[in-house]
This record gives sequence, structure tokens and C-alpha cells, in this order.
Amino acid sequence: MNEIIVLLMGFLSIVIVNNLVLTKFLGICPFLGVSGRLDMALGMGLAVTFVLTLSGTLTWMIDHWILMKIGLEVARYIAFILVIASAVQLVEMYVKKFFPTLHENFGIFLPLITTNCAILGLCLFINLWGVDNLLEAVVLSFGGGVGFTMAICLMAGIREVLNLADVPKCLQGAPITLITAGLLALAFMGFAGMIKQV
Amino acid sequence: MSKIKYFFEQSWLLIATSFVFGLLLAATDAALAPRIAFNERQKLTTLMSSLLPDAEEFTIAISEAQIAAGKGKMAVTDVYVGVDSQGRTLGYAFIGLGAGFQDKIRLVIAMDASGEKFLGYRVLASNETPNFGSKIKEDYFRGQFVDAPAETLELVKTGDVERIDSQIVAISGATVSSQAVLNIFNSYTRGITQQLRSEGLISDGR
Amino acid sequence: MVGKETQPDLNRTFFTGLWKENPVLRLLLGMCPTLAVTAAVRPALTMGLCVIFVLLCSNIVVSLMRNLLKPHLRILMFTLTIATFVTIADLFLKAFQPAMSEALGPYVPLIIVNCIIIGRAEACASKNTLVVSIVDALGMGLGFTLSLCVLAAVRELLDAGTIFDIRIMPQAFVPWTVMAMPAGAFITLGLLLALVNLFTRRVS
Repeated sequence: MNEIIVLLMGFLSIVIVNNLVLTKFLGICPFLGVSGRLDMALGMGLAVTFVLTLSGTLTWMIDHWILMKIGLEVARYIAFILVIASAVQLVEMYVKKFFPTLHENFGIFLPLITTNCAILGLCLFINLWGVDNLLEAVVLSFGGGVGFTMAICLMAGIREVLNLADVPKCLQGAPITLITAGLLALAFMGFAGMIKQV
Repeated sequence: MSKIKYFFEQSWLLIATSFVFGLLLAATDAALAPRIAFNERQKLTTLMSSLLPDAEEFTIAISEAQIAAGKGKMAVTDVYVGVDSQGRTLGYAFIGLGAGFQDKIRLVIAMDASGEKFLGYRVLASNETPNFGSKIKEDYFRGQFVDAPAETLELVKTGDVERIDSQIVAISGATVSSQAVLNIFNSYTRGITQQLRSEGLISDGR
Repeated sequence: MVGKETQPDLNRTFFTGLWKENPVLRLLLGMCPTLAVTAAVRPALTMGLCVIFVLLCSNIVVSLMRNLLKPHLRILMFTLTIATFVTIADLFLKAFQPAMSEALGPYVPLIIVNCIIIGRAEACASKNTLVVSIVDALGMGLGFTLSLCVLAAVRELLDAGTIFDIRIMPQAFVPWTVMAMPAGAFITLGLLLALVNLFTRRVS
């Protein structure tokens, strides 16, 4: 029971309190680029969640069961990025073959996700936080994806309405999106300290 | 046979560069690893020296002491002993880790030789709110731990900062960070003193 | 002969990276480290120098290999090259600047996925000679570093009253703490971009 509470707290903490986009600055490029429409944002979010859960788990396993055992920590970054790139490639091939309609709708996001700093970033953060059991790594990666999806959908919702507002010429596009993100981050600051990252 | 030939034709560059990069990385790592390890030790030693200024050297008294850190997790930390030039024990120091407001807080905590008082702490790593939580690095808060009794400490909102006892006045606007520091102290103290007693390093009589 | 013809090209390449196609302010690439490390000028400068180092090395290696690259393996090659040099940069930082390494944390290895570097490898280094690639790397890297430092200077000034640890604001200045936090980062960058937009539209 204790275990479950710890995992639940960890999940909530990474979704709300330590949100990947709004507090750790990960995944900003897609956040700015794809958050124009709610359906695209959701698609990107789901794709990221899937890849994140997969990569987070895989990289944790490789880090703990292979790299640390043979003392090859120096190859950590290379191993991580290669795993992530291959995982994304494999997922794309798999989805294209077995779920063609899904591939049509969300497939374009997959190649973009490899250079998404959120993926590598979360894998590195899991490493930094010293997460030492597999289940926690899975929960945190999944939570990271959920948090990203939530943030990008919030942003998409706001931007859709912002399109109808009278934004000054020089603020249109990235500047107003960033300022909105700043206000969102400010709002989320209210959650800080609620659940502590142990 | 031609499949293998095709494979090599396409990927020889990849294999060759992987090999070269691998060598480059191994060489850099071998060259810099001792220095990196030295930096780590140096950081710890500098902080411990500022807590136990007369200590000539620090050696590990208990290596990898297991402390029950709450939530069913076990923390592992080394306990260092500071000895002066005559070999007298001046005090003990250890690294305590705990959850802070934003990220984890890592402290170096020092106890006196009898294990009955704290000699204070230094912040090894923290990422607290600037100008609020970051005040745990300043003497207003830190000074209250110097000579504080090595028992469960309690956080209070208002009180006398100058009086040294087991009540610690929180930093206004940074209650969470202040409580975090106290949590680290409280979760490590009992375990560490227990271990020190069982090793016979401090006396049992109270 | 060749030297004289490519000379203006090189100048143009360099200054394009610096302003017209400034990676942060115009191309909107490499946003993640921009927001994360610009709370103060010192980490921003360190990050900028790391990026210049990696960009330079990766562009040199890719440019030297450009005729040997197989098309469908090239992204993998770029990634491998960049990851190697980032690891080397990280090791050097840990060895010689441990305090900075800790302040920058996981954002140094994130240079691997920084779109600027892979973008330049793909768009420039894999198609141009060594010299052009080097100049491009320097221009882009410098552009990145400068924009990072400007952002960091604004944030540090308003929060701690210092720039590069040199006190500028008077002692009585009340620190504007939000500037050191994520919210301040987003808003400052947004306003900076708006300013750049305003300036470039006025000029053109």
C-alpha cells in the first residue's frame, strides 16, 4: 500500500508540480510549434506519452542493468539517444504496418519526437533523481507524458481563442505564445511544494 | 554472401566512426576521471572543513551506513570523522539527502564528538526558490543549528532566533524549505547516532 | 582565385548566423536550454561556449565525411557524432568547472537534441566545404551565445541586481524573483522576440 502511495505521489508530482514543460523547460519546440490546434496538440501529446513511457523504461533498464554493471557510464548519453532513436524508428514502422489509420493521423509526429528534448530530458532526469526501481521509472515516464499532453492541450485551447483576439503585429506567433506559457507557468507555481520529490 | 557485402558496404563508415569515437571517449574519460573524482571529494572536504575548522583530516568512520529515511526507503550515507593533528576526534559529519521545495536538498551535517550536539550544516546542493528557499544557505537560518541538541528538532513560525534549543524558527516565506531541512536532520539523526553508538564511537550513557 | 570569391561568402555566412538567421531569435531553435540556463549570465555563457565547441567539432567532422555518408544512415551518423562531442564537453566541464556543471545539470547532455546542431549538420556541413562549415558553426554558435547572454543579462539584472556577478543595481533594489523562475523566463523571451520582430520589421 505504501508502495502504491509513493508511486501515485510520484505520478502526480511529475504531472502537476514538476511539469516537464512549465517547470523543467523540456519539449518547448513542439510546445510552441504544434499547439495551434487542439486536435494536433492532443495527437502530439499522445505520441509523446507513448514514446516517453517506452524510452523511459528502456533507458532505465539499459542504464541499471548494463551500463552501471560494467562501469560504462561514460557512454550513457550515446546509449540513451541511440535507444530513443531506435525505439521511435521501430514504433513508427510497427504503427505503419499494423495500424495504418493511426499512422495517417499521428504518424507525422513520430520522427519529430526524436529530437524532442522532453524524451532525452526525462530519461536524464530519471537518472539524476536516482530512481532505483523499474516500476517507478515507468510511472514517472508515463506521468511525464501525461503532464506534457496536459500542458500542450491547455496551450492549444488558449491559442485557439487567442486567434480571435487582436494581438499586435510584433507579438504574433511565438512571442505571445511564450508570454501565455509564462502565465501558465506562473499559475502552476501555485502547486509547487505540494508533493515533494523524494 | 552478397547480403553481407551490401551490409558492410552501407555501414562501414558507421562502424569505423563508432570505433574512433569510442576510443576518443575512452581516452577522455580515462584522462579526466581522476580529476572529476577529486573535485567531488574536494567539495565535500571543503564543506566539512568549514564545519570542523580544526580538523586536519577526515576519514570514513562508518562507510555506507543504512538509515531508515521514511516512506520505507533506506538511505545510504558515509559517516566521516574529523580528527585534529593530535588524532583527537573533533566531530562527525555526514551527507543528508531529502526532498525540498523544488528539487532535492543535499546537506553536510556535522555533530560534535559526543554525538549530543549539532555543529551546524552546509548546503551541498539545492535548487530552492531564489531569495526565499535559498535563504537556507544563510546564517539567519543556519546559525540556529549550531550547538542545537541532537534530538528531534521542531519548526516554529516565530520565536527567538538567538536562543539555541530544539526549536528552529522558520524562514518567513519559505516554510517548506525550512521544514525540508529539519526533515533531513530528524530523519538522519537517530539512525546516525544509533550507528555511532553501536560502533562504540560515542558513549551510551545519557 | 577561389579564396577571393569565397571570401564575401564566408562573411555573409558568419553574419547570417549572428543576426539574420540567429538560431534563437529568428529560427526559434534550441529553446529548451535558452529558457533553462539563462537565470544568470555565467551559466548562459558556459552553455553558449559548450554549444560552440560541439557545433564546431560536429560541423568539422561531418564536413570531412560528407562525401562518404550514406543517405539513410546520415541522421544516425550526425547523432552519434554530436553525442560523442557532447559527452566530451560534459566531461571537461565536470573536470574543470564542477560548480558550473552542477548548475547546468542535465541541460548539457540535452545539447545532443538541440535542433541547432543537427540542423546545421544537415543543412550546411553535409553539403559544404570544411572552411564554410567552420565559419557557419562559429556564426551560429556566436549568435546563440549572444542571444542567451542578452536574455540572461536581463533576467539576472532584474532578479539579483548583478550581471556576471558584478553588482549593478543599488543595494536597496528589491529583487524581482519571478525572473529567476520559469514564468519569468518565458515572459522575458517572449518580449525579447517581440522586440526583435519589431526591429526587423521597422528595418525591412
